[in-house]
Amino acid sequence: MPESPRPATTHTRRTVLKSTAVAAAGATPAPAPAPAVAAAAAPTTAGDVAEVMEITLSVNGRKHAVTVEPRVTLLDALRERLALTGTKKGCDRGECGACTVLVDGERIKSCLTLAVMRQGSAITTVEGLADGDRLHPVQEAFIRRDAFQCGGCTSGQIMSAVACIREGHTGSDEEIRQWMSGNICRCACYQNIVAAVADAAREVRR
Amino acid sequence: MTGLVGRPVARVDGRAKVTGAARYPADNPVPGALHGFLVTSEVAKGEVTDIDTSAALAHPGVVAVLTHRDMPRLTVPSFPYPKGFIPMQDTVIHHVGQPVAIVVAQTVEQAQEAATLVAVRYRTERPRVVIDDAAGAPYLPPPFRNRPNEFKRGDATAALAGAEVRVEARYSSPARHHNPIEPHATTAQWDGDRLTLHETTQGVHFTKSTIATAFALPADNVRVVAPYLGGGFGAKGPTWSHTMINAAAARILRRPVRLVLSRAQMYTMAGHRAEFRQQIRLGATRAGKLTALLSTTIAQLSNTEESIFNSSESARLLYDCPNLHVRQEGVRLDVATSSYMRSPEMTAHFGLETALDELGWALDLDPVELRRRNHTEFNQETGQRFGSKHLLKCYDMASEAFGWSQRKRRPGATKDGDEYVGWGMATEMHTFGAMPSTASVTVGPDGKVVLRIGTQDIGTGTYTIISQIVADAMGVPLDVIQAHIGDTALPVAGLSAASATIASVSGPVDRAARAARDAVVGLAVADERSPLFAVPADEVETRHGHLIHTRNRQRRDSYGAVVSRAGKPVEATGSGPNLPGLSYGVVFAEVRVHARLGSVRVTRVVTAHDIGRVMNRRTARGQVIGGVTWGIGHALMEHTVYDRNSGRVVNPNLSTYLVPVCADAPPELEALFVDEPDPGSTALGARGFGETPITGVPAAIGNAIYHATGRRVRDLPITQDKLL
Amino acid sequence: MRSFGYASARDSADAVRLADRTPGAAFIAGGTDLLNLMKDGVQHHRHLVDVNKLDLARVTESASGLRIGGLARMRQVAEHHAVRARFPVLAEALLASASPQVRNMATIGGNLLQRTRCGYFRDIGSACNKRVPGSGCSALQGWNRGHAVLGGSESCIATHPSDLAVALTALDASVHVLGPGGTRRIPVGEFYRLPGDTPQIETSLRPAELITAVEVPRHPTATRSRYLKLRDRATFEFAVVSVAAALDLRGHFVRDIRLAFGGIGTKPWRSAEAEAELRGKNLTVERVEQAGRVLVRGAVPRQDNEFKVELVQRALAELVLGLGGLR
Repeated sequence: MPESPRPATTHTRRTVLKSTAVAAAGATPAPAPAPAVAAAAAPTTAGDVAEVMEITLSVNGRKHAVTVEPRVTLLDALRERLALTGTKKGCDRGECGACTVLVDGERIKSCLTLAVMRQGSAITTVEGLADGDRLHPVQEAFIRRDAFQCGGCTSGQIMSAVACIREGHTGSDEEIRQWMSGNICRCACYQNIVAAVADAAREVRR
Repeated sequence: MTGLVGRPVARVDGRAKVTGAARYPADNPVPGALHGFLVTSEVAKGEVTDIDTSAALAHPGVVAVLTHRDMPRLTVPSFPYPKGFIPMQDTVIHHVGQPVAIVVAQTVEQAQEAATLVAVRYRTERPRVVIDDAAGAPYLPPPFRNRPNEFKRGDATAALAGAEVRVEARYSSPARHHNPIEPHATTAQWDGDRLTLHETTQGVHFTKSTIATAFALPADNVRVVAPYLGGGFGAKGPTWSHTMINAAAARILRRPVRLVLSRAQMYTMAGHRAEFRQQIRLGATRAGKLTALLSTTIAQLSNTEESIFNSSESARLLYDCPNLHVRQEGVRLDVATSSYMRSPEMTAHFGLETALDELGWALDLDPVELRRRNHTEFNQETGQRFGSKHLLKCYDMASEAFGWSQRKRRPGATKDGDEYVGWGMATEMHTFGAMPSTASVTVGPDGKVVLRIGTQDIGTGTYTIISQIVADAMGVPLDVIQAHIGDTALPVAGLSAASATIASVSGPVDRAARAARDAVVGLAVADERSPLFAVPADEVETRHGHLIHTRNRQRRDSYGAVVSRAGKPVEATGSGPNLPGLSYGVVFAEVRVHARLGSVRVTRVVTAHDIGRVMNRRTARGQVIGGVTWGIGHALMEHTVYDRNSGRVVNPNLSTYLVPVCADAPPELEALFVDEPDPGSTALGARGFGETPITGVPAAIGNAIYHATGRRVRDLPITQDKLL
Repeated sequence: MRSFGYASARDSADAVRLADRTPGAAFIAGGTDLLNLMKDGVQHHRHLVDVNKLDLARVTESASGLRIGGLARMRQVAEHHAVRARFPVLAEALLASASPQVRNMATIGGNLLQRTRCGYFRDIGSACNKRVPGSGCSALQGWNRGHAVLGGSESCIATHPSDLAVALTALDASVHVLGPGGTRRIPVGEFYRLPGDTPQIETSLRPAELITAVEVPRHPTATRSRYLKLRDRATFEFAVVSVAAALDLRGHFVRDIRLAFGGIGTKPWRSAEAEAELRGKNLTVERVEQAGRVLVRGAVPRQDNEFKVELVQRALAELVLGLGGLR
C-alpha cells in the first residue's frame, strides 16, 4: 500500500533562510550550505532518493542530453530544461490537454508521463511542426479559421489535431467534436477549431 | 484608405501562437530564476499558531522558506487589489488556500516537495462558506467604487400591488471559477529598488501601480511585462497577493523568483464569481407592459471586503419600467475574495430574463413580443435618449435566422426521437468600460511602422485590431506594422477588462497614427527632394505605404523614403477622451432534452448583436462563440463546490469543475451583427463587446428547456438530475 | 511530488523481483493516474518500476475468448477488431473513458487500478479513511453527489471510476497476475473489495503483484453488449451513472443477461438479482422496471446523490430495452 502522507512536525522555530549568504551574494547562485540549526532538527528524508539521471530525449528531430530527476515530467523537461516553452502547462493533471505532444506519432499528455520513460522515443512539439517557414497545414488552418483566441491551449489543440487527422477521426464534424474533446479551450473557440481540423484534414489527405 | 477596419482580417499574432513562438509570462522570462511555491492554509478560519520550516529548509535545493515572520510590511492597495488584506502580514486566516509561506528552491519540483514539508499549526474555528450557512442576515453593503447597491425609481411596491399580472420567483447560481488555461504566473526581478515583473495580467499599468503602492515604491520603479496572456476572463484583472509575496521573496533573496499557481490554488487565490441568490418580482399589465420590477439579490462576500460584482444593471437599464427597486445585498462568509468574472452582470441577468420568460407564459405572450413591448430608447436613469440602439433590429435579424415564427406555443410539444426539442431566447446587455490611454506611432526609415501602447491582448484580438486601425489611418499595409503592447515601458493604457479595450485604445491609436501620417506628409511636401514638394498637404493621399498627389497620381513618395531623407524616425502620439456605454443583443437557443434521462444538449444558437461598428468580424465572432459556450457552461455544468464543514473547495480541478469541451459547443451557431457605427462612440464607431454575448445564454437555455419539457429550473447549473 | 528512484524492468520476472525487493516500490505503466496521485501527495512511492518495456501489450483472441495484455493501451484495445466485433461493450466503455491522449497512454492494468475520484480522497487537507485509515470520511457529511448508493459503509462511500472495470464485470472477466508467489487468476468480481472498515484496501492484489493480462471468456451474451454512460458534460468526464449490459436474446426471450453498473457502487457493481428478474423470461418494459427496482433495493442514498437511485434505473431501462429492440 502507498505510504500515507508524512506526518507534520510541529516544532516552534524562527524561520531561517537556508543560506544567509544568499542575500549578500546578490545574483550569484548560492552554494546553499545547510545551516546547522535547520539541518540538525530536520526529520530524515531517507528513502527520498534524489537520484538524477542523464538521459537523451529526441525532440523535433534533435537529440538533447538532459539531466533530470526521475520525477521530472516530460512537460517540465521540455519547458524547463530544454526551453521548449511552446508546450503549455495548464493543469499539470491531464485534465486540459494544453501539454499535448506527439510521442512516436501518437498524441499524449506530457504532464502525465516522466521524461525518463520517454528515452528513445521521437517526441514532436509544436515547435517542430513547421517545415522551416512553411507552416503545417493544421497551423495554417488554425490561423485561417481563427481557431484560437488567447493561444493558451493552442499548441495542445494543434498537436492533438495533427494526431486526430492521422488517426482518421475527422470523418464528420461530429467525429471531430468528440475526438478533439481532450483539449479544453476556455476561450471556447470550438466551432472554429472543428472547422480548422476539417480543413486541415482535407488538405493533408490531398 | 485601405479599409481594413471592419474586415475579417486574420490575427497578426496568429503565426506566433500556432508555432509556439509567442512567449507567455510563464515561459522562462528570466533564465535561471529560482522557483517559488506557496504553502496555503488548510483551514478556512482561525489563526496560524506555529510554522515549522526546518524540514523544508533541509530539503535539497531549497534556498528559503519565508513566512509572515519574514515578510516586509506591505501596504494594502485599493482596487484593483480587491482582497482587502495581504496574506502573510500576520497570522489571521480568513479563508482556505490563503498563503502562509513561500518556499523558494532551485527547481520547481524541489519547491513543490518542500512546500509539503512546511508544518503549520492552526487554531481553527468552524467556518461558514455558503449563503445558507451565513451567520448574519443579508445586508446592504456600502457603495462599491461610488456605485450604490440600492436603486429606486417610482414606487415599485405600490405598483406591484396594483399590477394586473404578477410574477415572483427565486433564482440561484453557484460560485464559479474563471479557469483560464494559463495559470497565474509571476516572475519578479529586482535591481536595487527597481522591480520588473513578468506577469499574467490583464492590465500591466494597473499591476504596476498596485505593486508600487504595496511596496511603497515610486510607480516608475516598477515595470510589468505581459506580451501575451493565456486567457484571463477577469481572473487576471485584479492584482493578487501571490504577486506581492513572490516579489517580496525575490527582494529578500536578491534573486529573480518565478511563481506559478497550481490549478488547485487558482480556486482560492485569484477571485471567482460569487455564489448568488435572487428574488425577482414583476408587475405588468395584461398587455405585457412592465409596471413594477423588484429585484433583491444576495451575493457571497468575504470577511475582508464587501464588493458586489454580480450587479443588476440590466434590471435597471434594459427595459422601460417606471417603478423599480433593486437591492444588491450580501452576506459575509469565510471564503476567498470574489471578483469579476467574464460578464459579472450575467448572474443577475439570468434571473431577470428567466422571470420575463415566466411572465410571457403567464400572459400567453411570445417572449420576443414581450420584450419589444418593453423596449426603450431612453436611458431609464438619466432620461436621455440613446444615441444609437438597434436592439429591435437584433430581434428581427436573429428571430428570422432562427426561424422563431415556427415556434410551437405549448411546452413539450415537439419531440424528435427520444428527445424533446425546445426553443428559448433572452436579450443580452452589457455595459462596457473605457479608460484613458495613449498610443505612440513611429515611422522608421525603412517605412516600418511601430505602434506602442501599454494595452493587452487577452485573446480578444487587440494586436490585430489596433494594427488594422493604424493601417487605415496611415494608408500602409498590415505587414509593415509592428504593434508592441503588454509592457509598462509603453504609453499608459487601461485594463483589458469590462470589455473596455476597444473603447479605450481605438481612438488614441487612430489619433496617433493620423498624427504620424500628417507629420510624414508634412515632411514630404516641405522637402524639395520629394516628388511631392510644395503639394498642398490636403492633396496628398496615403495608400499602400505611398504618399500620392491626388491631382497627379504620378507624383508620389513613400513613407520609408520621406523618413529616410529626414534622417530620423517620425513619432507621434495620440490620446483623448474615451466613453463607456452599452452593447446589446439577443440569443436564441435550441435544446434537446432526453425524454427519460434528462440530459440536455444545446444544438443550435443564433445571436444578433448591436456593438456599433464591427472592427473585425472574425475576432467579433470569436467573442460570440466563446461567450455562447461560456453561457452553456454556466447553464449546464459549472459549479464550484465548497465543503460546508471545512470550507475547502471540493472540486479545484478541471476534471470535476466541469467546463465545456468541444463536444458541448453547439454544432450550429450563427453570429449576426447589426454593424451600425455608433455616432457617440469615441472608438471609431465601435463599442466594447467581449462580455455581451454570454449575458443572456443561461436564461435562453433555461427558457428553452422549459419550452422543451415544461420544467422550470431556477437553480443553476441545470444538471440532468433536475430534469428527471 | 516527492522524489523517488526509478528503474526500468526488462521483463515481468525482473519487474516483480525489483518491486518485491525494493521497499516502497510501485509499478508505473501509463502513469496517467499514478502521477496525479503522487503530485497531489495522495500516494508516495520511494521507487517506481517502469514496466513499459515488458512484452505484455498483446491482444489475442482464441476459442475460449479474449486475452488482453496488462500493458495493452486503452486505444489499442478499443480499436481491436475482435473487441469491436465480439465484445463491443469493452470498446464502448473504453471509448467513453478519459480523452484520446490518455487512451494512448493508459494501460488496461492501470485502468483497473485507478483510484477513486472522490474529491476528499484526492485532497490531502480533508479527512479520508481510504487515504489515511481512521481519519474519518468527509464525504458522508460533505458533498457526495458523485458517491455510491450501494456497497458503502460508514467508512467510505467512494465509487470506483473505471468504465472498463464495469464492462469487464459484466463479462465475467478475470485478472491474471504475476507476483513473488507465482501466477494467480482472480475473477474480476473478487478483484475489487467493498470498503467495509478497511477502505484503504481496494483490491485483492498482494504486494509486488503485477497484472499481466485480463481474460474475457467467450460467451453468447458478449456480442450483444453495450455500455451507456451518463455524465454532466458531453464527454471527457467520469461517469455519474453507467450501465454495461450483455444480452443473449432469442426474439424477446432472454436466454441470458449480465448487468454491471458504474457510478452507483463502491466497486464495479454486478447485480445477479436484477439479472434474475430478466433471465429466462420475455423482455418487457415492466420486467426491466422491476429489475431496476431490485437493483436499488438496498440503496443508501446520501444528501446529494439520491437522484442516482432513479437515474440508474432509467439508464438500465434505456440500455436493455434498446438492446432488446423495445426502444
